[in-house]
Amino acid sequence: MEKSESTKIDVVETNKERKGKAPLLGTAPVVAAAGAVEHAKGGANRGIAIFDLILRIAAFASALGAAVAMGTTEETLPFFTQFFQFEASYDDLPTFTFFVAAMAIVVAYLVLSVPFSIVCIVRPHAVVPRLLLIIFDTVIIALTTGAAGSSAAIVYLAHNGNQDANWLAICQQFGDFCQRVSGAVVAAFVTVVILIFLVVLSASALRRHR
Amino acid sequence: MKAGAVELGHASKVTQRGVNRGMSILDLFLRIIAIIATLGSAIAMGTTNETLPFFTQFVRFRAKYSDLPTFTFFVVANAIVSAYLVLSLGMSIFHIMRSRAQARLLMYTIFWEVAMMALLTAGASASAAIVYLAHKGNTKTNWFPICQQYDSFCHRTSGSLVGSFIGIIFFILLVLLSALALSRR
Repeated sequence: MEKSESTKIDVVETNKERKGKAPLLGTAPVVAAAGAVEHAKGGANRGIAIFDLILRIAAFASALGAAVAMGTTEETLPFFTQFFQFEASYDDLPTFTFFVAAMAIVVAYLVLSVPFSIVCIVRPHAVVPRLLLIIFDTVIIALTTGAAGSSAAIVYLAHNGNQDANWLAICQQFGDFCQRVSGAVVAAFVTVVILIFLVVLSASALRRHR
Repeated sequence: MKAGAVELGHASKVTQRGVNRGMSILDLFLRIIAIIATLGSAIAMGTTNETLPFFTQFVRFRAKYSDLPTFTFFVVANAIVSAYLVLSLGMSIFHIMRSRAQARLLMYTIFWEVAMMALLTAGASASAAIVYLAHKGNTKTNWFPICQQYDSFCHRTSGSLVGSFIGIIFFILLVLLSALALSRR
């Protein structure tokens, strides 16, 4: 008699279990699919964030190179008169002084923004750090392009001079100084291109934050 | 209880749509002012032409924007940026009509806006460096400040820089708006 009772209870239980299981079986694949899509989006965002960090380090190297190249210019020509010694250094031209100061600010910003980038790697769905990165990156693009553009204008003048304004091309005398300075301007423009790419990356990561 | 929750959800959706529409209208407004600023800059620099009242037998003392290649680049950059802004007005109006923000369009907008801002900043900063030289000169490189002779030319070029810098600030605001719209989607 005990055996028959136990078997009856078993049958009842299995029926109830089946009724309880059916809706779970129906919704489980949908929940799993949604979770898989979110995991994939998070994976793509994480990849973008890692690429962002690598690019940020590259931009830091380029900006540091530009600042150092411009800041360590000093060329003294081997001849001099009784009153003047012909030397050229970056602080002879206020535009180049502005270039060094602006590049120093950009280098400091890039170093300070690495933690934000790491936060974006750790939390791929975070919106606020990415938004902050986009805004500050845009402002820094404006600053870098300002420094690079103004120094490019002065370097162009130094190479070519200007007949109408009677400005002589000083590169013909200070060759080494000119090369150094031109290299610094090129490095600054490379930094600008990397920064623009960074902004586009952050925007594409924001696009799929849900 | 359920009906109340649904109503609350509907109200918050309506306010969200209203905020989105407000942001799109602000975007359009900023674009129109940026068009005026950059176009004004291009025209102010492009119509510079000053002839000094004395001349020798061989040389006529005249200053135009095309005498300095940097100013030519400035005029061209400002013209390109104002053309881009006029073309993007249509896209901005499209954003106002469709209150649901289009994600891919916003991303392309951000890219083009940042690129155009970089172009504008390069032109404005290069011209600012030349204008500074024209005002102060440089004793080390023996560059004479030409503003002492060409007064009206100097005033015109310095004034046209202002519009360009206003355009740069407005571009930064436009990028901020687009990024906000993208994150609220």
